[in-house]
Amino acid sequence: MSNFTAEDKAAITSLWAKVNVEDAGGETLGRLLVVYPWTQRFFDSFGSLSSPSAIMGNPKVKAHGAKVLTSLGEAIKNLDDLKGTFGQLSELHCDKLHVDPENFRLLGNVLVTVLAVHHGKEFTPEVQASWQKMVAGVASALGSRYH
Amino acid sequence: MLSAQERAQITQVWDLIAGHEAQFGAELLLRLFTVYPSTKGYFPHLSACQDAAQLLSHGQRMLAAVGAAVQHMDNLRAALSPLADLHALVLRVDPANFPLLIQCFQVVLASHLQDEFTVEMQAAWDKFLTGVAVVLTEKYR
Repeated sequence: MSNFTAEDKAAITSLWAKVNVEDAGGETLGRLLVVYPWTQRFFDSFGSLSSPSAIMGNPKVKAHGAKVLTSLGEAIKNLDDLKGTFGQLSELHCDKLHVDPENFRLLGNVLVTVLAVHHGKEFTPEVQASWQKMVAGVASALGSRYH
Repeated sequence: MLSAQERAQITQVWDLIAGHEAQFGAELLLRLFTVYPSTKGYFPHLSACQDAAQLLSHGQRMLAAVGAAVQHMDNLRAALSPLADLHALVLRVDPANFPLLIQCFQVVLASHLQDEFTVEMQAAWDKFLTGVAVVLTEKYR
């Protein structure tokens, strides 16, 4: 499993402190649904997803995105025990939601691009590396109780 | 198949990169090696010393090829055929690595263009680069 160095943790927590979870959450989920349209399969109840602007402006997308990132925020406080933090959510995503874990990897990658949009040059290769490690760890933890 | 809008988005993004191929390419490679260290094995000459001049030179070459792909986005197979041969016969980069390069490409674009990097651009460019990767690995077997 991922071992987060002190540098990783510093890069992750300091950037996270600057993130507006509501905005970034909606942006991240919205971009996922636009860039990888097959991911819309989980959101039939969300109303209009018919165009990029419909998706990015959809209030349910924004709300759900915020929810997902809030959960990620909790994980950031527990980087050394992502499996523990996401145990129940893993079971939920497997047993109730039936989400292919590949989707967690896609979402994580989109989050990284959103962070790059917001932070520009500050999002150095080293910072990106820490964050890719982070999202890979989360994706793995969310898939860990699949059966 | 690329729609007219997607083609426009791809060209729009390329216009922002054109002239800066070396710089973008070098940063792309640096991010690839930093984030995904296993990729360094494919670039032994480059990744050992990470000499800035060599990164710029190789980055320039890679992005020039991307530029050629943009010019011929309706006929990638023909335009990229020599590169497809190179990847199949000589380089033999495992296809699983192309999504890693594409992710780094997206991050380079996002961090440079920032708010100008719209969701439509991201979608079109992801589709385009994925298409390029498919062509480059098509002759593997």
